Amino acid sequence: MKEGRLRTYEPGDNVQRFLDLLGRRITRSLAVSMTACVHCGLCAESCHYFLARPDDPTMAPVWKADQIRKIFKKYIDWTGRVAPWWVKAGSLRDDEDLNRLKNIVFGSCSACRRCTYNCPMGVDTGLLVRFTRGLLTELGIVPEGVFNVSRDQWETGNQMAVTEQDYLETLEWMRDEVRTELGTASVDIPVDKPDCEVLYTINPREIKFDPRSIAHAAKVFHAAGESWTLPKWGWDQTNFGLFSGDDKLGAYVARNVYEAAERLRAKRIVISECGHGYRSTRWEGYNWADYDQKLPTESVVVTLKRYLGEGRIAVDPSRNPDAVTFHDSCNIARSGDLVEEPRWVLRRVCTDFREMFPNRRENFCCTGGGGLLSMAEYRPLRLEVAKIKAEQLRATGAKLVCTMCHNCVDGLNDVIKHYKLPMRVVQVLELVSNALVVPGRNETKKTAR
Amino acid sequence: MPHIEVDGKRIEVNEEGFLAHPEEWNEETARLLAKAEEGLEALTAEHWAVVRFIREYYMEKNLAPMVRKMCQATGFPLMKIYDLFPSGPAKGACKVAGLPKPDGCV
Ligand code: SF4
Ligand code: SF4
Ligand code: SF4
Repeated sequence: MKEGRLRTYEPGDNVQRFLDLLGRRITRSLAVSMTACVHCGLCAESCHYFLARPDDPTMAPVWKADQIRKIFKKYIDWTGRVAPWWVKAGSLRDDEDLNRLKNIVFGSCSACRRCTYNCPMGVDTGLLVRFTRGLLTELGIVPEGVFNVSRDQWETGNQMAVTEQDYLETLEWMRDEVRTELGTASVDIPVDKPDCEVLYTINPREIKFDPRSIAHAAKVFHAAGESWTLPKWGWDQTNFGLFSGDDKLGAYVARNVYEAAERLRAKRIVISECGHGYRSTRWEGYNWADYDQKLPTESVVVTLKRYLGEGRIAVDPSRNPDAVTFHDSCNIARSGDLVEEPRWVLRRVCTDFREMFPNRRENFCCTGGGGLLSMAEYRPLRLEVAKIKAEQLRATGAKLVCTMCHNCVDGLNDVIKHYKLPMRVVQVLELVSNALVVPGRNETKKTAR
Repeated sequence: MPHIEVDGKRIEVNEEGFLAHPEEWNEETARLLAKAEEGLEALTAEHWAVVRFIREYYMEKNLAPMVRKMCQATGFPLMKIYDLFPSGPAKGACKVAGLPKPDGCV
């Protein structure tokens, strides 16, 4: 384990430590978000927590952010120090208060940034929430799930503590499956192969519980004639540093990926379908790790679009006849700027693609964002406010909801199960793999679902 | 403590529907969890093969096995696991086997 990076809780003067950290870490853009809010209340209407509980003021983004702002005003900002009653500055007394703050920033916000997107003053509540999470993480005041996953990522380089042997065996297993399916031994899932066009990085969940997506990717790369490889180390593109607010963990995990690409002299980094992994590896990671981005870093959906556009793969959309709607992952659309590419692909691989409303950057979170899926204690509230998502899904009348995020897959599955919706969740790779026309293959054979 | 009630019996689970006290698992619990959480009216020999393996693996290593191991031990192809347990290996099979919720993005 990297020395002393994961903090465990210690009794003591945590309030003072919290304030010291706050003073030290506050940045210009955060200070703006601390002070610019005019309390117009517009953001409330954009938050699924508030929409589901309109009579509960503590669900409004502005209230959540105010709990942080109050502390900032009292201890850091001069207006609060001079006239605390005027700016409603609040005090932080003990660990009990810190714990309450934890329940607000981890438990009643999925860090989806929909409120941020809708604030006329440019207040970034999502950023404030992540910043506060980071301060609490530094004191070890975090939900158990976040702690465990962060520990695994620090200690093993991947968030599910998958061993190298398990990783390699699963890849071989999937290689054999695709070989059997396509009836050719020329399919490969290379590991640590130097000088490839593509370095493919994945979510540990794919290895541990759902390797179908690896098989789908292998099939498509094979059909496109791509030169590709996975790295033996640095293959986890997910990053709990984004959720816990711990930039050091963020830097460590992202750097592993970037260094793998450099070590293997790959031409580009491709990220499998994962929202927070995409945002972390493509956007935030370079800053966290202070790493000079030399290679293009893209989502596999962008890669798929290129293959289709260049005619490198052929598809038959009639193999996906069911109505499909698309769920924009917050970390991909709102915070990752990838909006039209998945739609472009879906229109080519399915016969009935329909939007849900609202969509694109205005889409509602799957409700499992911000690491909430790993925090069982907040699940009842999460499922309650998922009412908004359930109505939005139901209105599409689609049988399939497609998303390019493994986390959203689980989040949406929870919503579907809880609200008994007649839908199934799929990912873009699955639909493309389904529609893929592989030359010379017995086309009557059905592909894996 | 949240709980589920099936066939007039009450089982304590966590917020995610995983058994609250994994050590108290028995075959009856498995049957009830399968019904309440996976909508399975009965567990076949194939279900039991998966569940027993997961259970043994967990008792020995205090860890959920990866799906690779489940397939190796039972000889089932990958798709079979999803056919048997609608919620998949983690939230379906491991839950019926009475494991706590696996850590991570699941
Ligand atoms: S919309 Fe912006 S300015 Fe208005 S209350 Fe919300 S955060 Fe404050
Ligand atoms: S980030 Fe999302 S969940 Fe959090 S307060 Fe804003 S809209 Fe609500
Ligand atoms: S889980 Fe999906 S919808 Fe929810 S915040 Fe993450 S990317 Fe967004």
